[in-house]
Amino acid sequence: MKRAVPFEIFRYAAIFAALAVTLIPILWMMSMAFKPIGEWSATGAELTWWPKEPTLANFRFIFGESSSDLIVALDRTALKPILSSLLSASLGTIIAMSAGTAAAYGLSRFGAGQNLPLALTQLRLFPPMAVMIPVMIMWAFLNFTDSWWGLALIYGIVTLPFAFWLMKTFFDDMPREIEEAGLVEGCSRWRVFTRITLPMMRAPLASAALFVFILNWSDYLIALLLTTREWVTIPVYMASLSSSMTGQLYGAKAALGLIAAVPPVIMGIAIQRHLVRGLTFGALKQ
Amino acid sequence: MTMAVASENEMSAPAPKSSAPAQDERARLGFRLTLPAQILVLFISAFPLLMQAYISLTDWSPLSGTNWWNAWEMWNTFANYTDLAMDGRFWSALWRTLVVMLVCVPVEFLLGLALATLFADDFPGKKLFYSILLMPMMVVPAVAGYMFFMLFQSGGPVNDVLSGLLGFPVAIAWLSDPKLALAAVMIADIWQWTPLMFLILLAGLVGVPQDQIKAATLLGANAWQRFVTIVVPKMKTIIIIALAIRVIENFKIFDTLYIMTGGGPGVATETISVYIYKVTTQDLIWGYVAAIALAILVVLSVAAVLAMKRMAANREAAA
Repeated sequence: MKRAVPFEIFRYAAIFAALAVTLIPILWMMSMAFKPIGEWSATGAELTWWPKEPTLANFRFIFGESSSDLIVALDRTALKPILSSLLSASLGTIIAMSAGTAAAYGLSRFGAGQNLPLALTQLRLFPPMAVMIPVMIMWAFLNFTDSWWGLALIYGIVTLPFAFWLMKTFFDDMPREIEEAGLVEGCSRWRVFTRITLPMMRAPLASAALFVFILNWSDYLIALLLTTREWVTIPVYMASLSSSMTGQLYGAKAALGLIAAVPPVIMGIAIQRHLVRGLTFGALKQ
Repeated sequence: MTMAVASENEMSAPAPKSSAPAQDERARLGFRLTLPAQILVLFISAFPLLMQAYISLTDWSPLSGTNWWNAWEMWNTFANYTDLAMDGRFWSALWRTLVVMLVCVPVEFLLGLALATLFADDFPGKKLFYSILLMPMMVVPAVAGYMFFMLFQSGGPVNDVLSGLLGFPVAIAWLSDPKLALAAVMIADIWQWTPLMFLILLAGLVGVPQDQIKAATLLGANAWQRFVTIVVPKMKTIIIIALAIRVIENFKIFDTLYIMTGGGPGVATETISVYIYKVTTQDLIWGYVAAIALAILVVLSVAAVLAMKRMAANREAAA
């Protein structure tokens, strides 16, 4: 169907407006990350949209270089929070993906665990805040508080529903003939799963893992409650940068925000095709 | 997760499908594969819920000097629940959460639907624009909160743009005005989650059969009539799913909001999650928090089960 020219003009105008609204907050943070302290404009200085004298000082500052402009010295650098985020999100992804993939296969092929779809959907429904009291007590009892492995365990559980549902839809879509051929060849069902099914599913597995990793990496609330000092994650550390005596460390926070925001955005674009499936628990495919 | 590995050797060679040993193998492997997930679910539901129920009947706090299992020493039966019924701050936080939801979700839905309609057919640049428009939902919510915290500073870009448009200097203190702070928080939520609506609704929109639309066009239906009589009915399930996801997620709203305002000024942007967080970490009355949390869990569970039954019934009726 050919559309009329006025419609095309309207379409592009509307889309460009949407693009501008989408990009301005992101670009503003990017610009802020490269601004020297004199241009932070929080203190009534003239607002500059683009850094006049771009600098990497903010990045150097959060990685420990003392700054003569800021009278503060960080008592710790951003390095360990970044490590904490990486470790906890990665191990959390491994936990969710292992348990989720196995369970999805068990349900998809053998009808085991009929209670899981409902149980896992409910798990997603609950606000994390509403189960955090027992979790905090349990984690303290297990000596898991303020550790990246403790965070990883709860991340693995929180994102298990996503891993399970994504993998279930992938397994449901997969043609059974190849697996059946493997059975005829004399492989055990376990062997078929590990030697035929999983290798075939490498690409969907990778997409699901990236999806789960983004979710883990994005957490703020759980880390805020379960870490105190040693293993705080990037968002918790970033928020703590504001409470120092000199007020908001705008540029430093923006630099850290940029570091936190870039990986998931790139990963998200890479797995765009599967986003709908993952977010709607497989109710909808693209 | 390693549990299933050990079983490899005991697995017998395949037998004809219907035979008893094959059924047995299937059941056994199915059980083992689902076991880790079952354990994790149980670990996060059964025991924590019992513990939560127990503590919610006491005045226990981590500062009370006894372990949680000795909380019966501070038994208060249902005092926490009666307190909750009278807790004005709780009810106003709940109300605020609902207001945020009732504003954000419809706005996100309408904007997402409008964008999806624009993207329904092909045009130059579609793929690139699509990728860019999805970016906000991938930004870490805490970072998005910080972005909007900066944008809404009184010397920040929002006021700068307003000054440019209006022709006189604007210095609105967005985040320290109770009404504007709530609006600012909602704008941040709409910015971040309209892309999700767009994504889901577009996926639904491209699934609407084109031949029916063409037939309607030949019969003289205009764009609006086609939209109302063909597109919307076909997308009903998808629309319900999209709305359900946003309602569920929006109810939990915390990260962006807490970074932007911390629930303030005063309690002006205090939603349920922020309220529970504050009672947990500042007032430290965990017995009371457990009661709030449990009440919310029970209400949500009942609602979820009812909604799922309803959806299942609809699906059967449709089939």
